[in-house]
This record gives sequence, structure tokens and C-alpha cells, in this order.
Amino acid sequence: MVARVAGVFDEKLTEAIANSKVLVVGAGGIGCEILKNLVLTGFPNIEIIDLDTIDVSNLNRQFLFHKEHVGKSKAQVAKDSALSFNPNVNIIAHHDSVISNDYGVSYFKQFNIVMNALDNRVARNHVNRMCLAADVPLVETGTAGYAGQVELIKKGLTQCYECLPKAPQKSFPGCTIRNTPSEPIHCIVWAKHLFNQLFGEEDPDQDVSPDTADPEAAGDAGSSALSAKESETGNVERKSTRTWAAETNYEPEKLFTKLFGDDIHYLLSMENLWKKRRPPTPLVWDNLPGKDDSPAKHSGLPDQRVWSVHECAQVFAASCKALEADLKGRPSGDHLVWDKDEKSSMDFVTACANIRAHIFNIPLKSRFEIKSMAGNIIPAIATANAIVAGLAVLRAQNILKGELEACTSVYLRPKVNHRGQLFVPERTLTAPNPKCYVCAPKPEVALACNLKHLTLKELNSALKEGLNMQAPDAAVEGKGLVVLSSEPGETDHNNDKTLEEIGLNDGCALLVDDFLQNYEVRVRLQQEDEEKSWRLVTELDTPMPAPKEDKPANGANGSNDPKPGPSRPKDDSDSDMEIIEEDEGVETVKPPKRRRVEMSDEIVELC
Amino acid sequence: MASLSPKSPEQNEKSKQYDRQLRLWGDHGQTALENGHICLINATALGTEVLKSIVLPGIGAITIVDENNVSDEDIGSNFFLETTSKGLNRGSETLRLLLELNDAVQGHSVQEPPDQILQENPDFFKSFSVVIGTSLNEKLIKDLSQYLWDLNKPFILCRSVGFLGSFRIQFREHSIIETHPENEKVDLRLDVPFTGLSDYFDSIVISTLELKDHGHIPWIVILYKAVQKWQTTNLNRWPMSRKEKNEIKDIIQQFIRSDENGVPINEENFEEAIRAVNTALLPTFLPVKVQDLIYSSAAINLTKESNPFWIMCSALRAFVEAEGKGNLPLRGVLPDMTASTEHYVKLQNIYRNQASVDAEIVYRKVQQIVSQLQCDSISETEVKLFCRHAHDLHLIIGSNIALEYQTGSPVASYIARHLEEPDVMMVHYILLRAADMFKSEHCRAPGEWEPESDIAKLKNCVSKILSDVSCSPFPKDDHIHEMCRYGGAEIHSVSAFVGGCVAHEAIKLITKQYNPVNNTFIYDGASTNSATFTF
Ligand SMILES: [Zn+2]
Repeated sequence: MVARVAGVFDEKLTEAIANSKVLVVGAGGIGCEILKNLVLTGFPNIEIIDLDTIDVSNLNRQFLFHKEHVGKSKAQVAKDSALSFNPNVNIIAHHDSVISNDYGVSYFKQFNIVMNALDNRVARNHVNRMCLAADVPLVETGTAGYAGQVELIKKGLTQCYECLPKAPQKSFPGCTIRNTPSEPIHCIVWAKHLFNQLFGEEDPDQDVSPDTADPEAAGDAGSSALSAKESETGNVERKSTRTWAAETNYEPEKLFTKLFGDDIHYLLSMENLWKKRRPPTPLVWDNLPGKDDSPAKHSGLPDQRVWSVHECAQVFAASCKALEADLKGRPSGDHLVWDKDEKSSMDFVTACANIRAHIFNIPLKSRFEIKSMAGNIIPAIATANAIVAGLAVLRAQNILKGELEACTSVYLRPKVNHRGQLFVPERTLTAPNPKCYVCAPKPEVALACNLKHLTLKELNSALKEGLNMQAPDAAVEGKGLVVLSSEPGETDHNNDKTLEEIGLNDGCALLVDDFLQNYEVRVRLQQEDEEKSWRLVTELDTPMPAPKEDKPANGANGSNDPKPGPSRPKDDSDSDMEIIEEDEGVETVKPPKRRRVEMSDEIVELC
Repeated sequence: MASLSPKSPEQNEKSKQYDRQLRLWGDHGQTALENGHICLINATALGTEVLKSIVLPGIGAITIVDENNVSDEDIGSNFFLETTSKGLNRGSETLRLLLELNDAVQGHSVQEPPDQILQENPDFFKSFSVVIGTSLNEKLIKDLSQYLWDLNKPFILCRSVGFLGSFRIQFREHSIIETHPENEKVDLRLDVPFTGLSDYFDSIVISTLELKDHGHIPWIVILYKAVQKWQTTNLNRWPMSRKEKNEIKDIIQQFIRSDENGVPINEENFEEAIRAVNTALLPTFLPVKVQDLIYSSAAINLTKESNPFWIMCSALRAFVEAEGKGNLPLRGVLPDMTASTEHYVKLQNIYRNQASVDAEIVYRKVQQIVSQLQCDSISETEVKLFCRHAHDLHLIIGSNIALEYQTGSPVASYIARHLEEPDVMMVHYILLRAADMFKSEHCRAPGEWEPESDIAKLKNCVSKILSDVSCSPFPKDDHIHEMCRYGGAEIHSVSAFVGGCVAHEAIKLITKQYNPVNNTFIYDGASTNSATFTF
């Protein structure tokens, strides 16, 4: 079929293609294009993996899917569609997360090339490590609107995906979200948290009730008119929001009264908060602004018009009921996952965010705008995906010919630049960052935390979320003492102990490894009294501390004596490396929790 | 519970399907796309890839002109052909499978040879928004591009041969209303406040505000008040220098209240005002680029055939000279700021209202012109969009493809210059053109049948082109050998890549958003180099 192309390609390339095996990770916009290009270039063995199912909003670019495929496995349908045109290719489809023990280093090792066509950072980080561990070249792709990029990642030769810090996405202090929102986004984040509290996976970090531990309200809450027993975390202790909502049968009016009436009254009682701020206005269900508006006066798309508070309440009621029904239809203990493309989920967040915005005197937004903000939607179009996928497969050909040096990163610009360029290539491969905490020969990173407060359980999540590990094992350097084990139950008895209690102190180092990722990193602990949870301090963007000739001081001797930190002065050039949370962790086994921000379709860190 | 049934805003199926792109080019961009009609000549792999990326986002209609029947090679390189397509008309087979991607798209297939259409029924091309041609021979390229130039229809000529690909965009002029500049300048008119705005400013006295309101007035008000105060001791001048701007910052600092202990209260809106001093105090002015446009002869000497852009430019000039007092219509967009809803909404309405008053005036002028010229009407929405983006209007003057074939033209010396550099990408351009010429002379691609004997023939073509641009022959023949080895075959990934690029640019042309490539792009998939040239 590709007979004539055989004349175009030289023998070496033809043969390399004939003997190749390629893994495509992701069957979205770029993945579909890559699959098609591979098939028509004559690649005989292809595996494609994607956890996702097809949504209507995919159809504007993911051309292997049609309307009748909505709801089906992307990987499977992509395979079937490609085979219907070209039955002579061996394609294996996995409707699965790439982050799984089923796809370990030995799995990756069987491929000549891995091609990433992913839409989220967690999975990208993971595949990056798998390819480093398996020493397989990785072609990393991404688009955002009119822009896009293709880069080669090869162990020891190029930068890896994690060599440079990625811009952290904005996160907001809990008390701003819970007590004193001042921008629409604060209300949107609150509304998404509320969704999870009521219908999704409950997360203590996503409390939506008034935060009595707000430093600004200092000492205030005690004088509150409402009697509430405080827990040490500052949350008003009570039944979980979910339990309470279930008991009230998700009765919209009751929910409304609590969330937008009682809770606001409670906030008002924290008077210190409102000395310099416009106080919020509690709402009453029966008397909402916009109630008497005639429904006919509106024009334009409902999606792009800002609804009145009354309309929001109507939508709130309807979406609560729909979501409740959805939740009830599931096995006990199951929960909903917020999805910007799911009607009731999006309606609920729009309504709640706007009602709260009204209460706090913040401009209301249309559903269309809120969807962008809540879903952190990156626009995606067919053309950019086609361009990037075309380049990616041409890169794959270069790789098979052994021309790795030619595979410099290429950026597709949304507009031609001043030199008239639409594509801006790097001149040479970008060398790996010797201080990268992933691909350096001896990876190292510091974890700033308060050792007196951070528990082992929290350490475990810091390693998972901060370092994107799946199942970390941690041992004290020089002592071999295992503090965290990925074996279920092995170190659980220590879960609630603080790091100090098990004898770790400032300057100690942990050797942490993830068996699945074949990744080991040395984590130095850095005591910081002010740190409320934890923070990674990397040396990617700060000067390297003086070289450490002697072995770092080992503080894991069980004593509480303060020991000087081994490596570097304390600095507070911190937060640009806060590791990110992500909401659309479609490829993750379990989405990470802390500092959640989201990414969307084919995100890319742009030029 | 209220008696009204919940008006749940059901998104229609279409806006769900197009959600991710609507966020890029908006409903009006989508409408433009849906009113667009693309004509493709030759459904090669490249041509089909172009259409695929235009059909998916929902172009109104496509028409494929293709006289060829499906061959094995087509099936091997074109994803949208099946083995059962063999021997059938290539255009209609491709069309059938492409339309399965999006049932909202209309499709037509025409099996006549394009040169015949050009001779017998040239009006055929009048109804399209953009014509895209691929795998054309040199003669047809010359004839068609000249015809479409005269017709004032955008034409994209694209090629994919072996590892080489290219596209050339031809239009006489292309006006862009929405250029999507990276940092849009704010248009606040603090130096020349309109009545509504100055009334609003006058209604606020910062010193008498209650503390909790103090933190909620928009920074625009604060800045204006600070300048007013500064002007009392500066002969009502406008602060321009860095020193003067620092004085404004000091005044704003003085506005900030202190608590009972004399510690200044941290108020976000005042911080914002201080941060805005450097940018927001720029005096209002008419950008030179826009001035050039509205005083260009196309905007002054209108005819019945003038396109809406020039009619609106003309109306804009009239506005600037009269009601605008030298300035453009107000943009009417407020930046985000810390402010209470009442203040924000009020201020927003003041700006919006003035913007729509200004746009309304421009619209009336447009209507006058339209009725004088008796040309097609222009909608109010179009005029509003035009006014909102009046600060960033952009015009690209195109060039005729035929110029590339003229000896002694400036384009010829431009080509020669790049060949001398030596620019290997320009060498590829010469080879692609030589292949077109070969096709005209021998009715097949170089190397398609006899790679060896074609080398000399292709070399002849190269020499002719080089002598046309007054260049000496290439020292080596390796590029010529390479081209013959390709035998006119398409590598799918190259076609997919170039096809994506062409669709990308076609969408920019149809939606009149973002600046397109001006005007030639060359790609070499072997070295993965690319270059843009402006012929
Ligand atoms: Zn790295």
C-alpha cells in the first residue's frame, strides 16, 4: 500500500519502520492524528492507551470519533476506526490508565519510541520517568489553541519533562475561599469544593464552611452569636456536609438556606473581617433578586448571558436534584467526579458561584465564562493538532534513523513572529539540567516543612503529590530505617506520628524510591517553623549551594537536638516550585488532593 | 419554591461540539466559518488533510474539483480512501468519507478538469471564500492564480512532494479586525473624559467615603482624583514624565487611610491605582497605523465594490474628524479590578454606554455611505466589532503569484538574493517549482516512471527557473536526484503537517482573526527545517 513511499524513504528507514514498535499515550486530539500518521507511514506495530471515553466536545477535532461513539473508549474506537481504513496494521488498544503496575519499566522497554499525546501534567510526569527508566526516546507533544510544540526527551541527551519548573497554577488561601472571597474565581473554587463536599470525593482541604481559624478574625469567633465548637483545624465541628445534606434529602431550599443564609450570618458574626470590607449579604430563598423579572426579556444564548440570582437559585435546585439522583443510582460509597462537560455539574457550579458572588458583592459571570475558569479550559482545534502530530511522526522517523541530534524542540506560534516565523525551532537539543530532581544522575530535592507537625501520612502525600510518585518507599539515609513503605499496612501504625516523633530532624535525608517508576531521589528535610504543610525546594531555579564534600550531617539519631542543615541556607525563594494540583487527572489512578489546580485538553507550557 | 419551572440553560448540541474552539474565535468567528465555502482542487493526501481540519470545526461547505480516479498510491497515502474506493472518482470518494466527520457541512464534487472549468465556466470560482489548489502543473498555477487575483478571491497553493512541502497564500489585501494582540492597551480616556465619565468622577469624594467603601472604589477613580489634585498646582497639565508620575503615586499614597494606630491600611484598590500609574496615564491618541488606514486612498475613494472594511474605515475617519475630536470610538472594555459590584457595574456601564453611543454614530455613517454607494449593507454587529477593535486594525497587502514567474521583477531578485545566501530553503522552493514545470511539460511528476532519465529533464527545468531569476545553476545535482527519487509521492506525515498548516491559515483568512503567514512557507521534512518568505 505504501509501495511508492518505500522509494522515498531510504532502505535504513524503511527497515527500521518495519521492525519498530511504538506506544502512543493518549487517544485525544493529537493521539488520533498520530495514530493515523503512523498507520499511513507504515508503522506495523502500535499500541495506544487512554483511560478516557469519548465526549461530544471531542468531536471538533478528534476525527476518529463520530457522534455514535460518544461514551465509548477512546483507545478502542481509535483503533477500530484506524483499522477500518487500514486493516493490515497490528494495533493494540488499552482502555486504561498508563499509571499502573501493568505498564512498568519492562513494558516500556519493548518500544522503540513512546509518543505522548496527553492532556495533563501528572501523566506526562509519569511517562517521562518511565521512559527515562526504560531509556526509550519519548516524543512529547502539546497544543493550546493556535499554538503547539513537539520535543524529544531522551535520557542523558536532552532535558526531561521535569527538568524545568513548570509555572505553578494559582492557588488561593483557604480563608479567602471560605471567608472573604473578592474575585469571581474565589467563588468558583468554592463552588467546586462544595460540589465535592456534597457529591464528590470528600476532601478535608476543601471545606466550604466558615473558617474560624482565619488569622484576620483572631479571637472573634468566640464571641459569635452562634455557638459552635471549634476543632483544632479551625473547622466548625459538625456532621460532614455530605451527611447533613443526605439527611435533609438534598432539599434545595434547606441547602440554600444553610449555605447562603446561615453560613453567611455566621461569617458576619466574625466582625473583624468586615471592618475594612464590605460585609456579605445573606440571602433568603423566598425573596431573591430577579424574582419578578419577566422571563421573556432575555435575549441571546442562555450560556453567554449572566443569570439573575433568582435564576441561579432555580438552576441550583434543579442541578442538586439531578446530581442527587445520579449519586443515589450508584453503589454505596461511590461518588461523582466533577466534569465541566457534564450538564448538571456545570450548572451547579455556575449557580453556586454566582449566588455566592452576589452575596459578596462580586460581579457575576455567565455559564460560558465560568466553564472556562472552572474547567481551566484550553481551547483546542483540529489544525494545531494536525500540525503537531505531523511533526511528531516526522520526528519519530528521525529517531528511528538515529538522527537524534536533528530532533530539536519545535514551537508552533499562534502568530508569525517579527521574523516572519510560524515555527520556531531550537537550534540544538537542550541538554539535561544537572540539578533536575528527576533525571540527574543523583536526584536530590529539599522538603521544607515543620517537622513538629508534619505526620508520616502527610509525608507520604507530599511525596506522591509533590514528587508525583505513585507508591513511595522511604528510608533514612545511612540508617536504613524504613519510615514509609509501599507495602500496604507495613508502616501504617506510624501514620499519625510526626517526623520529629520518629526521630527525623532538620537536615536529615531520606532515600525515597518508587518501584513502579524505577525512580530514586534523595529528599533533604528542612525545618521551617512557619510552614503549615510542606513545600518542595528545588535547585532548578536557584543557585546550587556550595558543593558538599563531606557527608551530610545525619540527624536520624532519635535525638531532638537541633542540628544545622547540611546543605544550604534557608531561603524563601520558594513558591514558584510549589507542585501543582490538577483536577482533570484523567490518567491518574487517584487524583492528587492538595493545592489543586487544573489542566485541560492538550495543555502545553508555551513558548 | 417559586412557580417558575427552572430555566435550565440547555446548551445545544452544536455549541457543545464546538465548545473548545468557540473559546478561541468566538461565536462570530464560528458564524464566519459556517458561512465559508472552500474549493479544493485535487483531493490528494494533502488536499484531503486540509479539508479534514476545516470540516471538523464546521466550515459551511466544501467543493472538491478532481478529475482523477483513485489509485493504489492514493489509498496508501490518503486516510480517507478505502480499498473499495479504487477506480472511482477521487473527489467524490474523499468527499463522501470526509462528510462523515461532520454532518453540518455541505459538500459538492466536480469531476471536470480545473483548466477546463477556468476556460468554460470561470464564474464557477466566484462563490467560494477561499480556493485551495494542490498538485497543479505550472500552467494551471499561472492561469488560475492570475484569474483569482483579478477576481479578488484568496487562493492558497500548496504542495507536498516527498519530504518537501510548501504553501503560498495569495490575496490582494487582507484586513484583520481582530488581531488578538498579546497585550491589549486599555482605553480609559482619563485625559479626555466624556461627559458620563466626568459626571461619575465628580459624584465621588474620596475623603468623605466610609472606610468600608473606601476600599471598594475602582482604581480608575482614585487615579483620576490624584491627577486632578496634581493639576491644581501644575497648570492643569497632564502628567507625562516619570517624575510627574511619581508625584501622582505620592498623592495616591496620601489618599490611603490609616488605622487608629496610624498604620496605613492595606487597600487593594489603592495598590492597583499605584501600579496603574505608568500605563493608564498614557494620553489618548490615534495610532499611526490606524491613521494611515483611514486616510488611505481605499478608504477615501470608495466605490460600489469597496469591501466593508474600507467603508467602515471611511466612516471611522468621519467619526475621528467630528464626534471623536481626533480620537477613535471608545473601546468600552474595563480591566479587572478590585471594586464593589455596584461601583464596578456602574463604571462598566458608563464605559459600555459611551462605547455603544460611539459605535452607533459610526454605524449611522456606515449606513449613509452604504445608501450613497448602493452597495451591500453592513450589520450593526459588524460595525460594533470593528469599533471595539479599531485600535488594532491591521491590513496586509498581498502579491500576485504570477510575479514569481516574471523575469526581472523585484520578486525574481528577492529569490536570487536568497539563493546566493545560500538559503537551502529557497533551493527547495526552486525544486518544487521545477517539479510543477516538469508536470506541465511531461504530464507526470518527475521520477514517477523513469527516475533516471527524468533527472536530466528536471535539471533542465531547474536551469530555466534559475536563469529567469538570473542565477547560476546549482553546483550539485543532489537536490534534483532527491526530487526524482520522490517520484511525486506524498509522505503522509508531511501532507498531514502541511495540510494542518494550510487549514490553520485558511481559518485565519475566513474568520479574519489573527495575522496569517505572509505569504510563503517552505518545509523540509528530512531536516525538519522551515522558512517563510514574502514574495
Ligand atoms: Zn530532568
